[in-house]
Formats: sequence, C-alpha cells, structure tokens
Amino acid sequence: MNTKSGAVPSATTKRRARSKLQSDWWSKSIAGAVLGLTLALALSGLFAWIGPGGIDAPDKRQFVMWSIAPLWVIAFSLVYLIPTGRRALLTMGVLNVLAYGLLFFVKGALG
Amino acid sequence: MKVRSDILKVYRSLHTWVGITTGLLLFIGFFAGALTMFKQPVDRWISPPEQRLPWVDTAQLDSLVALTLQQHQDARQEFSLYPIEREDLAAPIQWSESGGGRGLKLSEARNIASLDAQGQLVTESLTPSLFGELVDMLHRTGGIPGDFDGEYVGIWILGVAAVLYFLALVSGLILLLPTLVKDFFALRRGKNNKRFWLDAHNVVGITSLPFHIVISLTVIVFAFHDQFYDALRDVVYPVSAPPANTAPAPAYSADRLLPPSELIARARTEAPDFAVTELLYLGLESSRPFVRVSIYNPAALVHGPVTGYMGMNPYTGELLMTSMLPGKAEGWGAIVNYFFALHFGSFGGDLVRWIYFCLGLGGAFLFYSGNLLWIETRRKKLRKTDTDIPRQPRNLRWMAAGTVGVCFGSIIGICLAMAAGKWASGLAFNINHIYLWVYYFSFLLTVTYAFWRGAGRATWQLLAACAASCVLIPGTTLVAVVAPASGLWANTSAGAVAVDATALGFALVFTCAAIHNRKRALHGGRDSVWATADANAGAEPKSNRVDASAGSEEVTA
Repeated sequence: MNTKSGAVPSATTKRRARSKLQSDWWSKSIAGAVLGLTLALALSGLFAWIGPGGIDAPDKRQFVMWSIAPLWVIAFSLVYLIPTGRRALLTMGVLNVLAYGLLFFVKGALG
Repeated sequence: MKVRSDILKVYRSLHTWVGITTGLLLFIGFFAGALTMFKQPVDRWISPPEQRLPWVDTAQLDSLVALTLQQHQDARQEFSLYPIEREDLAAPIQWSESGGGRGLKLSEARNIASLDAQGQLVTESLTPSLFGELVDMLHRTGGIPGDFDGEYVGIWILGVAAVLYFLALVSGLILLLPTLVKDFFALRRGKNNKRFWLDAHNVVGITSLPFHIVISLTVIVFAFHDQFYDALRDVVYPVSAPPANTAPAPAYSADRLLPPSELIARARTEAPDFAVTELLYLGLESSRPFVRVSIYNPAALVHGPVTGYMGMNPYTGELLMTSMLPGKAEGWGAIVNYFFALHFGSFGGDLVRWIYFCLGLGGAFLFYSGNLLWIETRRKKLRKTDTDIPRQPRNLRWMAAGTVGVCFGSIIGICLAMAAGKWASGLAFNINHIYLWVYYFSFLLTVTYAFWRGAGRATWQLLAACAASCVLIPGTTLVAVVAPASGLWANTSAGAVAVDATALGFALVFTCAAIHNRKRALHGGRDSVWATADANAGAEPKSNRVDASAGSEEVTA
C-alpha cells in the first residue's frame, strides 16, 4: 500500500517513513475522531447482539450506549501508533468495513 | 520500560496540544465540580431563613397535599414534597405556576405551602436561590453560555474537551512509562523549580489516573448520550413495533391520589435503610402519572448525585421503576449505576465526598501545573554571555496571563457571587441574576487585569484577591453573628459551619501562595514570565542568580 502513497518521495524518505512514526496530525486525528467513533458504534452493536444476554436483555441498551465512549477514545488514542496517516485511515477504514459487515450479518441472522 | 523515541515524540506533541487547548476549560470544570460535592451545604449556608415556612411532621403530609390540591389548580400536574426539613428547602411542598418541566429556570416563581399551627394551609410565592444549581451549571458547561435546540452548548464543548482530555491521559501515561519506576512518588525540590512542578504534575496525574479515566468517559457520555442512543437505534437495534394501542388511558384525577404517607411507607418496605427525602409528582392528571421517590442513605452506592431513586404510580402505589433503587438493580442496570456513582462520588457518604473534593481540586491542579510546565519548557533562559535579560516571547506571556486570569478568575467569581448571595439579598429583585452578574463580571475583570498587568505582577495580586474573596465567606457569617442588625444571617447547621471553615482554610492557603509568589515576582529569576517587569531596574543578572539559588526559586541555566 505504501507504493501508492505520498507525492513521489525519494527512496530514503520512503524507508524512513516506514521505520519511523510520522505525526500526520490531520489524517490520524480524522481517523481517530471519525472512524474511531463509527468503529466504536459497530463494536458496541456487536456486543449488543452477541454479548451476554443478547439483544433483548433488560437494561442492556444503557450499558451498550456507555460502551461507545471507551471504545471510541481508546481507538482514538492508539491510532497515533500507526506509522503514517494514510495507513491509519486505511486501517481504521478496513476495521470499520469488517465490523459493520459482521454487525449487519449478525443482525440479519438473529434479528 | 522502554518506549521508542519516535513514539515518545509523537505523544509528547499530542499531550502538549490537547493539554494547552483544553486545560483552562477543564480547570473550571474540575474546580466547580469539586464544589458541587458540597452543593447542599453551600445552599444551606446561603439560604435566607425568613423565606422558610414552618415544617410539618409526616402525619400531616397527607392533609397538606390534600389541601394544596384542593385550593391550587396549578399544583395538580406536578409538585414536590419534602418530608424532611433542611435549611436549603423553603417549604415541605413546592410547585411552579408553569407546571414544571426540566432545565434551570432562574426567574421562575415557586409556590410554596405549609400548614400553620391550626392546620390551615399557608401559601407563599418566591424565587428561590439556585446558587448550588448555578455552580453545577458552571461545572457542566465551563461557564460557556448559550443553548442550541434545548441543549447547553457548553456541555457539548466540555464533551469534546473530555475526549481530548482522555488523549492527554493516554499520552501522558506513555510519556511517563520509561521513567515510571524512577519518578514515581519522587518529588524533587532540587535547584530547578521546573523539575519540582513536573514531579508534582506526574505524581498527581498517576495517582489519580483511575479517577480521571472515569471522569473523562462519563463526561463524554453525559454530553453525547442522546446522539449515542439515536445512532444505536438507527444502526444497531431492530425497528421496534409501535406500542400496541390499548384501551383508552384511564383518566386520573388528582383528588384520588394515594396519601403520601402510604407511598413513603411503601418506599420504606422496598428500601428499609433509606430515608425518603423527596417525592416528585409528575404528570398527575396525564395518562402516565409518576412519582419519583428520592431515597437517601449516605453510605449506599446510589445512582444520583446524592440520592437513589424509585418510581411509583401515585394512585396505586405500584412500583414502576426499580433500576435506580440501590441493591435492587440487577444485571446491566446495576453496572450502569456504578458509572453514575463513580462520577458523582455518591457511594460512601461524606468521606468519599471529601476524597472526590480533593481529587477534583487535584485535577484542577493538574491543568494549572500543565500550563506552567508548557511555559517553563519554552522559557528563554538567561545565558552567561547575555548582558540584557531576555524578554519572554509574547505567546508565553499571554499564556501565563491567561492561565492565572482564568483560574483565579473562576475562584474569585464563585466566592464573590456566594458572598453577594447574602449581602445583596435585600436589594435584589432576583438573587439568581445577581449571582450571574457577579460571577461573570469578576471573572472577566480578573482576566483583563491579568493581561493588563502581566502574569508577574498579577499572579500574587490575584492570589491575594482569591484569599480576600474566600475570607468574605466566613467574614459574612461573623458580621451576621456580631451585628444582626446588618440584615445578614448565619445558618448554624454543621454543613453551613463547615462551609465557613473550609473557606477560611482556603483563604490561608491563598495567602501563603500570594506571599510566596510576591517574593518570586520581586526577587526571583528575572528571565521568567513570573518576574515583574519593572522590579528589575538596576538589578544585575549576577545578583539574580544568587537570589535564585538562595531562595530555591527560579533557577537560571
């Protein structure tokens, strides 16, 4: 995926980009703030369906709502560990697709 | 533990940026939040005795409610009943003309009623003091005014700040990991003041980390729960069938209410260790009447800031809601109760409230010291070869002025507003507006002063002003005791007296800090934003170095 990235960097900068953590504030922050939040929603949704008690457990909706906040900010704070901003967006995007795919599959199967 | 240097670099920048953008807002939130731990004692301190009606005993509650509903049509939808007397409550039964509703209404008249010695209904109308509620609002909004679509904008902004604050916690923890063992609990005075502040910042941060994680997560949920629920409903949950249209709702008439003594007895059997402190009757003549019973036991873990709740049908006594009933909640509901209790500190009586008070102030210290560290890290130091004292960059001077202005401004604002609650009570048409004016005026004045005079001079002067405004609180009580003709009053419950004692203690702390800061401003290192601009006329850099090391003050490199 790295071959497609950036505006024609030289071989040395590319190597450095791979080995060293880049700041890339805007792309990483967007990956964390937006894609982190949507990922948290999908994960808490999965928990709602296949977590203990299933979708109809009494009072579970409150707990599911609460779980969005920690999932979101944990993803948000760890997204900066991904080497580059582009990779961060890509990683979070793929995780989102997987999570929502699973969520809609589970929802269709159990709902 | 070893952490790669490029990771440290990224997270150091992150820590700096989120800290610097949210620090001052969170300072206000934490400082005011610490005060809300003792919202009720503060309201006891402030509430004027002449506005209170006599109380009735539990046996008379039934006739009090019956008489009120007979004589006052506007109480037939919603009213509150308080079985236990408290200084901050005006009367055992209260209702508003508009029929209630949520939100803070500063100008709304409350009708209050009680029974006189002959058992006759006495009614009055007043605008109650909402000081505690206003401190709570300051805590939740950071003092940012305005609302949008019925929601306070400040709550959303603090919600965003709480997200950034979590990033600050994680990044701060990562920065500390490599030296965690070595630095843990180390508080090195040394010759370098920055080291001391950094150690203090780290110790407070790491020891109260669980508290801070809880607070940041709960604040995010409190700010955005509506949006979260909407998203879950739209994306996750199956489309729910519209509620089956059953037989026409029974028509209720408020004349057929169960006597409150029966509801209280019912609540007692459900929660034997609790005292019933409030019955809030809602939608009485609607199709879904509800009474929310507040139950209080200082030692219990409860859902609300002070009390737990249960819900009943006021006509049948049927139990409608037990999920906020301590010990009765089960499964997921019980877990959610913990989240609330952990934010409110409502799980271990006054001891936990004091611990939360200290943790809240510790949080405020964390943000204050974080800003100081930002300034000290970027400070232009005096070098041996310098002939002139270096001028500190403008962004440092502004950050220093903003930090002392905002932090001390919020402290001064709250103290003065509280004192004004008594001094201006005779003049004020509505005391709640006085609170707002005094708070915002003194806050803005303090900030302006800090920028005008510069942090060097303003810091010790504003600390002295903090001390003076704290002294005003017990001072007001003293005047009330010595000179009752002044029209002031002193409430004498333990809670109210503790407010005076605490304010006096803070006045002493601020006085010491003011003296210490004045010394530094006049005699500390000149190459600092904290030095007064004009005191260095004629002072040689060399003599400053001597001063600095002698007083273990600012050190020059």
